[in-house]
Amino acid sequence: MSQAAAVHAIAIHGGAGAVPRGLLSPARERALRAGLEVALDGGYAVLDHGGSALDAVATAVRLLEDDPCFNAGHGAALTRDGAAELDAAIMDGRQMRAGAVAAVRHIKNPIELARRVMEKSRHVLLVGAGAEEFALEEQFVLVPNSYFRTAERLEQLEAEQRGQRVSDLVPPAPQGTVGAVARDALGNLAAATSTGGMTNKRPGRVGDSPIVGAGTYAKNGVCAISATGHGEYFIRAVAAHHVCAAVEYRGLTLQQAMHELLHVILPALGGDGGLIGVDRDGRLVMDFSSEGMFRGARDAAGRREIAIY
Amino acid sequence: MSRPRVLVILAVMAVTLLARAAAADPRPIVLVIHGGAGVIERARMTAPKEAAFRAGLEAALAAGYAVLEQGGSSLDAVTAAVRTMEDDPQFNAGRGAVLNHEGDAELDAAIMDGNGPHAGAVASVRHVKNPIELARLVMEKSPHVLLVGDGAEEFALGQGVVLVPRSYFRTAARERELEEARAAGPERATSPPATSPPATRHVTGTGQGSMGTVGAVALDRAGNLAAATSTGGLTNKMHGRVGDSPLIGAGTFADNESCAVSGTGQGEYFIREVVAHDVCARLRYRHLTLAAAVDEVIRKLQRSGGEGGVIALDRAGNVALDFNSAGMYRGVRDSRGRHEVGMYRGEKP
Repeated sequence: MSQAAAVHAIAIHGGAGAVPRGLLSPARERALRAGLEVALDGGYAVLDHGGSALDAVATAVRLLEDDPCFNAGHGAALTRDGAAELDAAIMDGRQMRAGAVAAVRHIKNPIELARRVMEKSRHVLLVGAGAEEFALEEQFVLVPNSYFRTAERLEQLEAEQRGQRVSDLVPPAPQGTVGAVARDALGNLAAATSTGGMTNKRPGRVGDSPIVGAGTYAKNGVCAISATGHGEYFIRAVAAHHVCAAVEYRGLTLQQAMHELLHVILPALGGDGGLIGVDRDGRLVMDFSSEGMFRGARDAAGRREIAIY
Repeated sequence: MSRPRVLVILAVMAVTLLARAAAADPRPIVLVIHGGAGVIERARMTAPKEAAFRAGLEAALAAGYAVLEQGGSSLDAVTAAVRTMEDDPQFNAGRGAVLNHEGDAELDAAIMDGNGPHAGAVASVRHVKNPIELARLVMEKSPHVLLVGDGAEEFALGQGVVLVPRSYFRTAARERELEEARAAGPERATSPPATSPPATRHVTGTGQGSMGTVGAVALDRAGNLAAATSTGGLTNKMHGRVGDSPLIGAGTFADNESCAVSGTGQGEYFIREVVAHDVCARLRYRHLTLAAAVDEVIRKLQRSGGEGGVIALDRAGNVALDFNSAGMYRGVRDSRGRHEVGMYRGEKP
């Protein structure tokens, strides 16, 4: 799936999971593809105008957060008590800086708060009410939790609580998460991930997305990774860092390293999901072990693709 | 029997005994602990304080090693060692943890079983007496790895864990430290980004710097590795700040395929560098010795401006402890006869 190196490049995902062909109505598939295109082109435009990889991934993820089709920001999956509880992380491969938030309930764009944690605090990870206190100090306007809730997510929650598998009903599956990786013209790498987590999750449960090294990682000269899938397995495998370590220490290509993680290491633990990555030269790789992954890739060499299956 | 012949037999016996001593224990049991890294210097220490810290480390070593000696698992051993330090008010974990800006202890912990691997962690809990035990319950009784805040305490209640009032954790020494830290300047949300090393302004009256954390790594008779870490984080920290301790790969990691690591130090650096996993990845993929892998990672931490230390253990029973701070509370005990505790630079282990 990788192609020739490009000067600047971006890949995005809108979650991986059970997306059997034919289950998506044509209208819904169109909406999902349109949402992916908006985020992909939005992020790519930043790069095309000479912007940084960091700005590009933040832009793409914010667009996906605002689109209710995806499990992040508006339209995030709901906890067992019917609330949205959001996690996000961003990492700048240039300076190895990172920022993350977890279990926030009133932040419209968690990826922007994660970035603020990176840029304006001495910390990397803030959680819960403390993270929202920091947001207020940073002049963020908090939104009511109802902002995130959509009729469709409520329906999914009720179905899950009745014991039906959510993935049989309305995609994206409970593993939905959004993310982006990019390389800019200067060779800087960045990664960002944002999620509402699992439908019907226990309040306080934090998955891999906001954990640096698990769901999100970027290091200039090596690679940038954003993950989606069953978060607990990605945490145990320290998935994103594992892929970059395999590239840096063993000399594997990004494609080989991602393939090994998704098709050898995670299955041994019992997990599945997907990864998007970009290497030092701007090669984009998208791979998954679930049935599908909402994804898109665009680079300066002319590649532009959106795919689901 | 002729005299030369007796000598030969004696020599053969001696060689055999020596060889046996060298391979003394093909399946060693090992426990390594730390009680935090930071400004730990002889000049700042009094004799009674030093004796109390050494006694605290010895107690934790004894509790964990007893488990291994009785054939228990590395997981039980690291739990016992960390729990002992959580209960000891000298260390920054459990009772006697440092206080956040609001004056509360806000606790983080993680445990990882290298056989699996499986992991459990909690962050930002305020009413759990032994966070390491709750982390273990998350690992064993929930499908999750990390639970934070009220949700983690709700889970604790569901598991029959008795919550304690916040006052349980508070000690006079920690209240004094918080006052000093507050006087030195409020925890400012808009302070410079942590790309430059934060000033060591959390130096405390107990001789322990800002980076206290407790942790343990162990190898059991069955050859399984485990790691555990528990902390109160930083004095005067912002409510909700989570450091590296409860993050798998950052402050805590164990995998039978590579090694077990527990870290202590400026957590933000450990998170960004994914320190614990990086040690194991270098061991596994670059085929470095454990000592070389730890050495490289500490040097890298130093270059990035971060400070702290790690304890690490591999399946052969090799131990590596290293730190770039003034000192680190630490201890090692194994079935090859090693039994040491230390705190200053230049001391064993």
